[in-house]
Amino acid sequence: MMRQAQKNGTAPLYEIRDLVCAYGDEPVLHIDRLDISSDGPTAFVGHNGSGKSTLLKALAFLLKPAAGTIRFLGEPTEEREGELRREVTLLLQEPYLLRRSVFENVAYGLRARGATDRLVERVAEALQMVGLPPDFGKREWFRLSGGESRRVALASRLALRTKVLLLDEPTANVDEENALLMARVIGEAREKWGTVSLIASHDIQWLDGVCGRRILMRRGKIESISA
Amino acid sequence: MSYLSEGFIQGLGLIFTMNEEVWTAVITTLKLSFLSMAVTLALGIPGGFILGYFSFPGRRILRIMVDTLLSIPTVVVGLFVYAFISNRGPLGGYSLLFSIPGMAIGQTILALPIVVALTASAVESVDDRLRLTLLTLGARGKRLALSTLWESRHQILLAAVTAYGRVTAEVGVSMMIGGNIKWHTRTITTAITLETGKGEFSTGIALGVLLLGLSFVLNWSLAALRRRTAS
Ligand SMILES: Nc1ncnc2c1ncn2[C@@H]1O[C@H](COP(=O)(O)OP(=O)(O)O)[C@@H](O)[C@H]1O
Ligand SMILES: [Mg+2]
Repeated sequence: MMRQAQKNGTAPLYEIRDLVCAYGDEPVLHIDRLDISSDGPTAFVGHNGSGKSTLLKALAFLLKPAAGTIRFLGEPTEEREGELRREVTLLLQEPYLLRRSVFENVAYGLRARGATDRLVERVAEALQMVGLPPDFGKREWFRLSGGESRRVALASRLALRTKVLLLDEPTANVDEENALLMARVIGEAREKWGTVSLIASHDIQWLDGVCGRRILMRRGKIESISA
Repeated sequence: MSYLSEGFIQGLGLIFTMNEEVWTAVITTLKLSFLSMAVTLALGIPGGFILGYFSFPGRRILRIMVDTLLSIPTVVVGLFVYAFISNRGPLGGYSLLFSIPGMAIGQTILALPIVVALTASAVESVDDRLRLTLLTLGARGKRLALSTLWESRHQILLAAVTAYGRVTAEVGVSMMIGGNIKWHTRTITTAITLETGKGEFSTGIALGVLLLGLSFVLNWSLAALRRRTAS
């Protein structure tokens, strides 16, 4: 049934069942049941420490669940993390750039995938989406402002054209202009490649312009879901 | 104290007139340190990386051993290497005693723990955001490992410079293994020891100034590097 569902493209993006995530021995996230659809962006909202970042890491296959399962597009995900990490990418709350030029930062994931034909064009496209000109690629990592670093980190995810883009607090410490850019890019990635964005944020006002579906988290649990 | 200032002036004279004895010692120091550093880096960077990146049984005790070797006295290394390469030693047949390669063995033993320990802690202490970033960009296996090493390159260079400092400044190994032979195994530091012993301050001062200059150039480049790493 599941395989059938996936073929028809109707399986949810993620199906979470009895999920527990822990740091060391301390469980911090419990989700009994949650389906995330690929119909549009979904936001996770909640106070600091409510488990949003932890959930995003689990959805990015960076954190092995202590218990429970996550299915991705109808398929089990255990022992496939390496491969699945190429379908899903995460922009960390504090973006981190590799110690290389902007171009090499954006090209890194493409090179890792062996997707090196039209590399220059794909890097330029990603830079353009975040409002940076192609010759910005020559800049070294230590010559960027905070806002520029953030844009480059985002561009290096966009270049990958993944099915899922996970964004952790994308508007924290970001000025108005960059917040608007972030919202525009989420829409553009969806139109271009059908990328689904899942966003952790407390910025309710900003989220209003970005997505409808909200999942409210509290103390590592889902409190409520609103459409 | 006038003999000191006179010595200083004469010393500068020796440098600028390219005094052959002085420059031979400098060249020997450079040759020797180049050789020991080449071997040290070739072994130390991969060794340190393995120690810092992978977890395997015995890793902790190995770390502690490497850290212990960081402070090994140069004369102890000199003693051991001497015992190995002297005529009666197991490596006696290679005529390494009183030769630059023999001295390089000793210096490598001094420098290797520095490069291994500092590389290991550089790789171990990489920002968790780096690891997550590489993973979210889809790196795995060999690429993940090599990118981690590459992203730590500034700290590894610091390790190399630190090791280079120890190698050029040491006396024990050069003296015991090299024998301070004029035109052959006499380095800056062993020459200073000898000249001072003879009361020849000017040559000693000339050599000291050159050694300081060498260290200054190194630290200058290091400071430039630090500025980059900080950002
Ligand atoms: N690396 C970590 N090690 C241990 N505990 C952590 C770590 N990261 C987060 N936590 C804990 O997990 C809980 C959820 O944190 P997090 O997922 O970061 O929440 P949010 O992103 O909603 O602020 C918090 O109690 C936090 O202290
Ligand atoms: Mg968070």
